[in-house]
Formats: sequence, structure tokens, C-alpha cells
Amino acid sequence: MVYDKIVEMICEQFGMEPDELSENTTFIEDMGIDSVDVVELVVDLETEFGLDEIPEEELKKLRTIGDLVAYVSAHSDI
Amino acid sequence: MRIILDAMGGDNAPQAVVSGAVKAARELGTDIVLVGREEQVRSCLAQCGAENESRITVQNATEVITMEDEASMAWRRKKDASMTVCLNMLRDGQGDAMVSAGSTGALLSGATLVVKRIRGIRRAAMGPVIPNGGKGVLLIDCGANVECTPEYLLQFAYMGSFYMERLVGVAKPRVALLNVGTEDTKGGELQKAAFALLKAAGDAGRINFVGNAEGSDLFTGKMDVLVADGFAGNVMLKTVEGAAKFMFGQLKGILYGSTKNKLAALAIKKDLYGMKAMLDPSEMGGTAMLGISKPVIKAHGSSDDRAIFNAIRQAIACAEADVAGAIEANIEFMKLEKEN
Repeated sequence: MVYDKIVEMICEQFGMEPDELSENTTFIEDMGIDSVDVVELVVDLETEFGLDEIPEEELKKLRTIGDLVAYVSAHSDI
Repeated sequence: MRIILDAMGGDNAPQAVVSGAVKAARELGTDIVLVGREEQVRSCLAQCGAENESRITVQNATEVITMEDEASMAWRRKKDASMTVCLNMLRDGQGDAMVSAGSTGALLSGATLVVKRIRGIRRAAMGPVIPNGGKGVLLIDCGANVECTPEYLLQFAYMGSFYMERLVGVAKPRVALLNVGTEDTKGGELQKAAFALLKAAGDAGRINFVGNAEGSDLFTGKMDVLVADGFAGNVMLKTVEGAAKFMFGQLKGILYGSTKNKLAALAIKKDLYGMKAMLDPSEMGGTAMLGISKPVIKAHGSSDDRAIFNAIRQAIACAEADVAGAIEANIEFMKLEKEN
């Protein structure tokens, strides 16, 4: 469920298709998005999943969709 | 109309910003919120004899975003920075538009992440109006997006067209694509793909696409909007600025080179000042960040009070013209189903 929602948000935000994405997809190398895009996605995720602001040191570790799914799953009530 | 002003942004802040704000409040009749270190801001207001100016309020913000701050994270790290507070206020509807002469990168990132882009707009772009002896040419993008896709350029074309039509009063603005030649087949992959999209939009009557243009066409009056990727656009803008500075330096050298020339200069003094004023960045206002859901104006980092005044005037015009509304209403034409 978390994965599906994140993929939906990425597709909406970056004009991608779900079948182009997987847990191993990296933001910078595979998706070709920049650091502002990543922060934008994270801010939207914080709102969507009711997360506290993700600390910068954690933010830097989020390289793939799988990383995001794991973080959201561990820090939200969903 | 209420303008939110970053009082701490720019090389000459806060004094020049406050002076520009006082002038704008008095001459344009607009309400202004000055955001910054309250004690400093109030001291500047007192120096302008405006401590009791009814149209100006002060919102305290204790931090300042500097050029050393990482652009994409500055607003997150400095939550009480003047720029961050301005962006939050704009997002929350506490003003109609905002102006800042602070870090361009931080403002662009903050505007994108706090105020947000218009839904469907892939990238916000910066569009300064370059003087050309007429109504000017909007150069979009001039550096916000170094790497672009054809879809971005299509969106820049629409956004620039709406801006020139609604703000500058150009009917059916002529849109050109910056390229290395005017023939339809010129350019790299990006330009060729963008040309096809722009031509289709033109054929459908949605924009007035006039084809490719070379850099030298900028001042010929052949276009009202020049679309470029941020890399080429920035190189072009900086080249034009440098060339203008060089030419004025040379001209000054000639006019002051001999008594005879000084007399000649005296005879055309008024025209020379007129030309200088036309090319003066302070008179042009700031650069609109197009694609953001609410008006955000970037004033030049070295803005004096006159430049701030003109940037406020531009912010008012942006809010009244509702460029964002025009973009939103046409967003379906500005998106590709799927970008390869």
C-alpha cells in the first residue's frame, strides 16, 4: 500500500508510468530528477503520510523508491 | 493589494529594500509587509521618516538566508529566515505576491517547495524582459533549469506568452525558439523535438509560434518571447549584459576623449540618458518566477531602492494580471501524455 501510494505520487509529479518503476529505482540516476525534486517529493510524502519532518541525515540516505517505502513504513501509522 | 517583501535579501538590504518599500507604499498605494529583523527594519523605516507609515507593517524574522546556504535546503534549515517567512506567508494567503532580492537558487527552490508549482507544470522558469527598444523580449528560461526536456520548453512558451499578453499588453505574442539557425531543421535533439511541439501548438492556434531565432535576432523586434533551455538562456543573458556594459564603457571613453567630443556629448545628453534609462536593470523591475502558483518576483541581488520599487510594481501587476490563472486554465494543452 505504501509502495503503491508512493509510485502514484511519483507518476503524478514526474509524468512517469508505474511499470517504469520498482523498489530498486534510484531517483537521481534512473529517474533523472534533481535534488529539488527529491525534496519536493519528500515534503509531499510527509504531508500525505503525516510524518514528522524527515531529518537531513536521513534524507541523504534515501536513494531509491525502496528506501522511501522503508522509511515511511517505519515512521508512519500506516 | 498586499505585497510581502523580504527586507533582508540583497546586497543593499535592509536599507535599500525598506526605502523602496516606503516609496512604493506612498506612490503606488499598496500595503507592504516588511519581513526581517524587526529592530533593523524599524531603524531603516525611521531613517526614511516612515516609522508611522500606515500601509507598512513589519513581520519579525530572525534569520537570513545567505549565498552560502544550500539552495534546495535553505528554507528547511532556516525556518525563521526572512525569505522562508515570506514564502510561508504567501502560501498561507497573507499577501498577494512576494518580492525578494536574496539568493536566486534558494528563492526558486523555496517557491517550488513551499508555495508550489501550478499543478501540471513540470518546472518553474525565470523570465526577465530584455529591453529591445519596444516592449521588450521575455527570455524564458534564463537559468533555473540547466537541463530541459522538450515538454519544459513547450510549457515555457505558453507561460511566456501569457506573461507578455497579460502583463506587457502584447496581443498574440510572437514566440520563437532560441537556436543556432532559423531553418526548421536546425539544432540538437532538444531543439528539434521542441520545435515540433511549438509548431503543433502554433498550428492549433494556441500560441503564435514564429519559428527558430538566433541570438542576434533578440533586438530585431521579430519576437516577444524567446524560449530557451536554462543553460543557453543564461549564457545569452549574461553575454548581453556583458556586451552592453562593454559598449557603454567604450562609448563613455569616446564621449569624454576630447573637448570636441564632450561638446558633442552635451548636445545629445538627454538622448544618452534616455538610452541609459531604457537599458537600466533597475527600471525593469525583477524577474518573474513563472509556473509558481502565486506571484514570486526575484529582484536583482544588487538592487537599490529604485529597483525594489520597480520590482514591487511588477509584483502588483503580476498579481492583478493573474498569469498563474491563465496558465492553470490552459494546462491541459501544456502537457504531453507521456515523455519519452
